[in-house]
Amino acid sequence: MNRASSPACIFLALLGVCFALLGLAGTAVSAPSPDEQEARAILFEIDDLWRATSSQGTVRMQVTTANYTRTLRMEIWSKGKDKSLVRIVSPLKEKDTASLKTGNTMYTYLPKTDRTIRLTSSMMMSSWMGSHFTNDDLVKESRLADDYDPRITFRGKREGREIIEFTLLPHQDAAVVWGRIVMTVTAQGHLPLLATYYDEDGVLARTIYFSEVKKMGGRLLPAVLKVVPTDKPGEYTELVYETMRFDLDLPESLFSLLELRRR
Amino acid sequence: MQIVFFALRNFNRARTRTWITVGAMAFACAIMIFYASLLEGWLAGMEKNAVGMDLGEFQIHGRGYRADPDLYKIITEEGGVLAQLDRQGFVAAPRLHASGLAAAGNASSGIELRGVDLVREGLVTALNQHVWQGQWLAENDQAGVVVGRKLARILGLAVGDEVVVVAQAADGSTANELFRVRGILKSVSEGVDRSGFLMTAATFRRLMIVPQGVQQIVVKRQVPSENLDQATSRLSRLLPNYEVRNWRQLQPVLARLFEMSDISLVIMLLITYAAVGILTLNALLMSVFERIPEFGVMKALGFSPWGLFAMIVVESMLQVTVAVVLAVAVGLPLSFYFSHHPIDFSGFVQSSSTIAGIAFDPKWYCVVTVNSVVLPILFLYLVAGLAILYPALKAAMLKPLAAIYHR
Repeated sequence: MNRASSPACIFLALLGVCFALLGLAGTAVSAPSPDEQEARAILFEIDDLWRATSSQGTVRMQVTTANYTRTLRMEIWSKGKDKSLVRIVSPLKEKDTASLKTGNTMYTYLPKTDRTIRLTSSMMMSSWMGSHFTNDDLVKESRLADDYDPRITFRGKREGREIIEFTLLPHQDAAVVWGRIVMTVTAQGHLPLLATYYDEDGVLARTIYFSEVKKMGGRLLPAVLKVVPTDKPGEYTELVYETMRFDLDLPESLFSLLELRRR
Repeated sequence: MQIVFFALRNFNRARTRTWITVGAMAFACAIMIFYASLLEGWLAGMEKNAVGMDLGEFQIHGRGYRADPDLYKIITEEGGVLAQLDRQGFVAAPRLHASGLAAAGNASSGIELRGVDLVREGLVTALNQHVWQGQWLAENDQAGVVVGRKLARILGLAVGDEVVVVAQAADGSTANELFRVRGILKSVSEGVDRSGFLMTAATFRRLMIVPQGVQQIVVKRQVPSENLDQATSRLSRLLPNYEVRNWRQLQPVLARLFEMSDISLVIMLLITYAAVGILTLNALLMSVFERIPEFGVMKALGFSPWGLFAMIVVESMLQVTVAVVLAVAVGLPLSFYFSHHPIDFSGFVQSSSTIAGIAFDPKWYCVVTVNSVVLPILFLYLVAGLAILYPALKAAMLKPLAAIYHR
């Protein structure tokens, strides 16, 4: 069974996928090839696409597993690369449960017990809010970039669409979960379409599908992300971005433990 | 009869040498009786801790649960299964299991939540008598939990403290509740010590939203003498849809350790008795060489070589028998004393020390068994018998004339 987790990150996880890729842009590597340079440049572009200076939005998450189906609505805030806050709006039973991520630390606020819990490293691979995202997905969103090297592995037409495919391989000494991440983006506009995650044995572990591109907060973004675990047929977690606003003047105090407890 | 008479006479002739030999054998045998009883006691303690404390003699799970524990892999008709087990001469207790997180103050730690049937659990395991501080669970205290000793230390918990639990309930929601520490367990096993978080079955069902079914049933034989493997087969036939494992299958390392302990006892016996064997050999050789002219006369008077051989063997076996009587007279009371007054290693080992993941009781009792007494005695006869062969054969093969004039 999955352990309990923190609330702020599902959507972040999605973003995290992109962030991870993007984050690599900043990694210093000696004499990258032109292909690598381009890969980094595009990743940087995608990074910018998702990671404005700040964001605020509402997200609906539907989790379908062999044992239950549940839908949560949540409000999300982010600032910079390291700070994010997620607060559950519904269902009523979990209303006001909130997750705060600052740097590599995650806190969960539980309104029923009026307690804030800091998640330990042993909880990082646990499911977040019963979804197919792990807490680690959220925490690693910015760090992933530091741990992997991007490389363009395909450029051309696939399923009638011009695409660019990246493969991310972890640095030799990186303490990461994935052995390889392959991400597909549109050749024009560089919007993410698909991200596949392989474990250390090269076996496909999960796939994230990005779809329904629409304009939100002045940006063209995929509004739906669907995570499909390979080893659990029929199960998935779908995130639907209902509203998004970017580059807001969010106060630092919003991402504090005090604010986490605000109802 | 004549041989026995001569042997008895010889026993008393070189008294110092005889009693040194007898004393050495008696000392070694007494020590080995004591050591074997200690070993039996250690094994009995380990088995009691491993099996009787928490593991149970058998465990029943839904198919695939052990390989990949999951809140949803349950034994659905636990009522029927329990009734079946009762009818078939087993004592059984259901358990609910889930993973979660416990937090107190700024500390948090992963935990294994366990829902306990308070009536049945006490019939199968002695966990309820193993509370270090505070009290065992109670039906009328639904907010009271009992936690493992290391977990209490990690979270800085004392009896009466509040602790928050967060877990993913069966419906996917975030289960979270505030509990109060009612008791802290003594050292049970590595798993329970580090992450054990026990609550009543009713509390578990409410918290985790598991209205029916259990993840595990622990079982004990009503007749302890029933063969473990046969009982396992009987259970497997009774419950073909579930996984049945006995404690040896659940704790193979421990089972191997127990098997190895018999071998280690034999090795210890051989090492200790090797010294005794050499001493006996030396003493008997001396007594043979000293009496060569005497043996020559005996042979000249018609004593057969085998008669002489038998006399020396009987002579040494008499010594062994006296040594055994002395050893039992010393070793047995010593072992019985320590079966009531354990050797206390508390000052030397950590109170939560474990071997193969099972709590090790720092109080070491002797357990006197037939094995722990008979085995050292049999080995002494065997070693002395081997040691006597050479001197006895030497005496048997003496030439009478040469022996008479031997100087």
